Amino acid sequence: MHLRKETITIQERLGEYCRTGVELELPGVTPGRIHHYRRLISNVVNDTLHTAFPITVAALGGNQWELLVQDFFADGIPKTPQVWKLPLEFYQYHTGRETGKRIGKPFLDDLLYFEWMEIEIHTMPDRPFPDFVTEGDLFNDRLVFNPEHEIIQLSFPVHTHPVRKAIDLEGEHYALLYRMPESGHVQFLDLSALNIYIITRLQEEKVTLNEIKNEIARVAGIESGRYLDEALQKFLGDLMERKLIFGFIQN
Amino acid sequence: MEGKVGLGLRRDIAEEILDSRILTPDFLEFAPENWMGMGGAWKRVMDKAVDRFPITCHGLSLSLGSPEELDWQFIRELKSFLDENRVTIYSEHLSYTKSRNAHLYDLLPIPFRQDAIDHVVDRIRRVQDLLERPLAIENVSYYTPVAAEMTEVQFVNEIVERADCKLLLDVNNVYVNAFNHRYDAKEFIGALPLERVAYIHMAGHEQVEPDLIIDTHGQPIIDPVYELFEWTIQKMDPVPVLLERDFNFEDLEQIQGELTQIKGILNRHWEVTHASA
Ligand SMILES: [Fe+2]
Repeated sequence: MHLRKETITIQERLGEYCRTGVELELPGVTPGRIHHYRRLISNVVNDTLHTAFPITVAALGGNQWELLVQDFFADGIPKTPQVWKLPLEFYQYHTGRETGKRIGKPFLDDLLYFEWMEIEIHTMPDRPFPDFVTEGDLFNDRLVFNPEHEIIQLSFPVHTHPVRKAIDLEGEHYALLYRMPESGHVQFLDLSALNIYIITRLQEEKVTLNEIKNEIARVAGIESGRYLDEALQKFLGDLMERKLIFGFIQN
Repeated sequence: MEGKVGLGLRRDIAEEILDSRILTPDFLEFAPENWMGMGGAWKRVMDKAVDRFPITCHGLSLSLGSPEELDWQFIRELKSFLDENRVTIYSEHLSYTKSRNAHLYDLLPIPFRQDAIDHVVDRIRRVQDLLERPLAIENVSYYTPVAAEMTEVQFVNEIVERADCKLLLDVNNVYVNAFNHRYDAKEFIGALPLERVAYIHMAGHEQVEPDLIIDTHGQPIIDPVYELFEWTIQKMDPVPVLLERDFNFEDLEQIQGELTQIKGILNRHWEVTHASA
């Protein structure tokens, strides 16, 4: 290390001031100028987080939101060199500290998570697309899913309801977020636990719908038969239309 | 690339540039941090840009001047990105953007001191070694010196010479600093090792106080900066010139006008080949 202790202290003091706003003595600065650095840096952080979490900002209101940003900025250690990934660290920071509980907004974790996942799905690295054909047998061929999707579990259905309603619907909620193959736009589906089970099972190696039909009936607590077949056909046909299922691998 | 005029690739104008509707730069520059590790729609935009234009990269987060260790994981990822996208010039700021391992996402001024020179020289050399390409170091705008023990030009010159790196000369930044710290811009540029300049930046700025300009990249270039640019390029060999514009994209004709104006000045003073222009 070539840097003198004194130089390091000076550099760190400027950094600390920018993050906390607490003025520390700095030698050889032009009066009235330092605050511009804090202002410029705050603008970057505020804009980035505000753009990433519009629903959370609206749900909390300006003052409470600003406090969350200030806490994170002063106390969190942003590790990512890529500022567009900062919202993930903001979400992790507040979840780790149970901020939602502390401020009486128990939906906060879910809301931040869902809004981050929309960014994540939109920007995540491309996943290899498997080969498939578009014509096939829903029950006897293996189904090929759009690999660019993630399933998340939420305690409040903030993806389907305004926050003031979602708050009364605490439970087990699932959303599946995925990226449309051509446009890259993010779509999401609100799914039941049974739907999630079916989608997960069908993506396991070499499983066809026919092979797991009885299993599905058992999990759902219903008879395996025409009624179930029709329901599965409708559900999976819908997923095909929505481009979550691309097609088939013929057996 | 010598004598070519480029534009920063920002998301707001990416489509417009790729369709070459109003904006017709010769090459594009982007911040690797804003595009690294991305898939989906933005990856496709980037791939198209790389297919159609020569690319330079201007880094944001290397933090050459900070006390903590360099982020080698990031630098390795950066190297893959530069290789994959056939990046011709990679530049970074002579500043620091991290404090106690926290990224601050803005450019803080390094104290102009001997120990900071030694530190930065060592870091530039190590980064160049790992990236296997020269680094072009940009003179940054700053709003106050901090604990300086020498002049800015002494600081910049010794770093560039000893690190044996290239210089990214931001003419607007020189203008901004000369105004903010009351020194002579031409004298400053005249004292730089201009033979090391790999690249020039031009940009607009905003005067926020009677004695303070902030380097915003959001406004048109002002005439005194064009004049300083014209004066500068007569003292050096042809290099690529880039217009930095980060926001205020309402008037694209005006931005194209700036590209044209820069090119006009270049053509008055530099003999450049027009093979691919
Ligand atoms: Fe610049």
